[in-house]
Amino acid sequence: MLRFWEKRLKTGIITENLELDKELEEIKKNIKDKVKKHFAGSLAIRMVDSGSCNACEAECNALSNPYYDLERLGIHFVASPRHADVMFLSGVMTINMYHHAIDCYNQMPSPKWVIAIGDCVKDMGVFEKTYAIKGNDLKIDYYIPSCPPNPKDILKGILEFLKTIK
Amino acid sequence: MRLIARFALDNVENFEIIDVFDKETKRQKVDKKEPSIKSLMPKYPAAIWMERKIRDEFGIEFEGAFDKRPLVKHERFPKHIYPLRKDFNKKEIDFSVYQPYKYEEIEGESVFVVPVGPIHAGIIEPGHFHFSQAGEEILHLEIRHFYKYRGIEKMVEGKNPKEIKKIIERISGNESIAYQIAFMDILAKASESEIPNSLKQKYFTLLELERIIHHLTDLGFIPNDAGFAPALSFMSKLAEEARRIMAKITGHRFGFGAIKEEISIDYKELIDFMDYLKKETEFFKNWIEDIASLWDRFNTTGTLSREKAIKYGVVGVAARASGIEIDVRNNLFYKNFGYEMQLEKKGEVSDRFRIRIKEILNSIEMIKNFKIDKNEKLNPKEFKDGEYTSFVESSIGEVFMFLKIKNGLVDRFFVRDPSHINWQAFHTTIYKDIIADFPLINKSFDLSYAGNDL
Repeated sequence: MLRFWEKRLKTGIITENLELDKELEEIKKNIKDKVKKHFAGSLAIRMVDSGSCNACEAECNALSNPYYDLERLGIHFVASPRHADVMFLSGVMTINMYHHAIDCYNQMPSPKWVIAIGDCVKDMGVFEKTYAIKGNDLKIDYYIPSCPPNPKDILKGILEFLKTIK
Repeated sequence: MRLIARFALDNVENFEIIDVFDKETKRQKVDKKEPSIKSLMPKYPAAIWMERKIRDEFGIEFEGAFDKRPLVKHERFPKHIYPLRKDFNKKEIDFSVYQPYKYEEIEGESVFVVPVGPIHAGIIEPGHFHFSQAGEEILHLEIRHFYKYRGIEKMVEGKNPKEIKKIIERISGNESIAYQIAFMDILAKASESEIPNSLKQKYFTLLELERIIHHLTDLGFIPNDAGFAPALSFMSKLAEEARRIMAKITGHRFGFGAIKEEISIDYKELIDFMDYLKKETEFFKNWIEDIASLWDRFNTTGTLSREKAIKYGVVGVAARASGIEIDVRNNLFYKNFGYEMQLEKKGEVSDRFRIRIKEILNSIEMIKNFKIDKNEKLNPKEFKDGEYTSFVESSIGEVFMFLKIKNGLVDRFFVRDPSHINWQAFHTTIYKDIIADFPLINKSFDLSYAGNDL
């Protein structure tokens, strides 16, 4: 364990400071301010996958790694829709997930918002309509495009979304 | 014999069932009037999902099958349609009346059921886990998937083979490179050309990098599910760095679109990173071996016995952790570049954990050896009609891909993800473990939902 602490002290804090800093620092500060103003310092997100390839989920998981460390901005992913302010929705919305996603949305307390992660939600991205895909009917408040959006895109997207809240 | 896949074709005049084993391939024609064929379920349990899928999609009955419940057709999915038949062309179908699904449940005094999913607590894909519990101990688990069933097989039919690559590479994001290589291998075979060795080396460099990223992520999440968060911080940092390297050399963090007819790789930076990664992984290995409380959770948990693994035909990391020598990479080409099969014996969480560390170190060696400056091109021109198959070892296990080209267009596409088999063997590993160990065991397998559901 001592070895670990030695390593820990030598590594220090690595949270993105160098190449992305100028741009990201501004974003981070703004996000923090907005979260404080509109969500009393705590924005809770529930992620729902309605038929993605899992890359969007991997990128959302990456938001918690030491480089991005989303939680220090007051944003966290929650286990239950009943604790959530925002739903992150990814995937093409299959027939088999359709009702579950709507159930999840209905369980969220108002006011609530839905943010689409990735191209699939909007126009299925590279995929095409088949019998097994229903398509999304939930009202989307903000789209974060790309296939998949990288963690920086998602951070920017969250900020842009926060700007739309009055 | 090991059953690799059982799937069906619609030849218009009749149906055909193809059984792919490791030693041979059997084909049987099935009459379209009251289509029916003998079931493989009693002998090969991995055929359970395969046959239920064929029954749902083609309407072929299986004599002697003990499980005839729908698989991909969930409660509100219309049951009377057979979407993979050639005469089915609808792109829009209506929901049917809700028909309950009968789960496998154990009944008895003080036995209760814990349903989990399809939407889970963390950021993961949807799937349903149905536990029968006796207090803390798990008596039985039924895994129900196909929530992400997108109809990929039908989606690509009737298209030019070149057009569908962008879809193939997004079937399962974590295994994208493996899927792309399998598909490129098929395109090469279909145009009677061969992938030049130098190009193969570059393909396999990216494949090993993909494996490294996947293993690094797991090595963080497995200890995290046992309550040891520092490992997640450590490994998610390395995984992010590896992903950035992937983005630098392929232009995409997951390598979507990376496997092309011609690629160039900047090995200098990649190999510098590999040297660094090797040091970090070795540090991790020494450090984690000393955390006794962690191994308390890992040892004797989630045991996949060798017998069960053979019976189900389990592949990939899970099979090797149970001492079974299965790896598509186990060939002369790979061995020349330093491939060594990594094996463990007991098939516990700890074995799957150790294998991942060992495989990272082996992949690092291989990537260094794969370094090449030569630039050769693959030139797939006209695609000849016919049936082609390919095998690639993804980060999870053996991917089997099948493509039938007719009149220059895709007539049938099928892929058997390693997860499709491993998910079915999964329930044998949790008997008498406690429910709190389930996330840990699940993560130690780290199977794909998207690749399984198609």
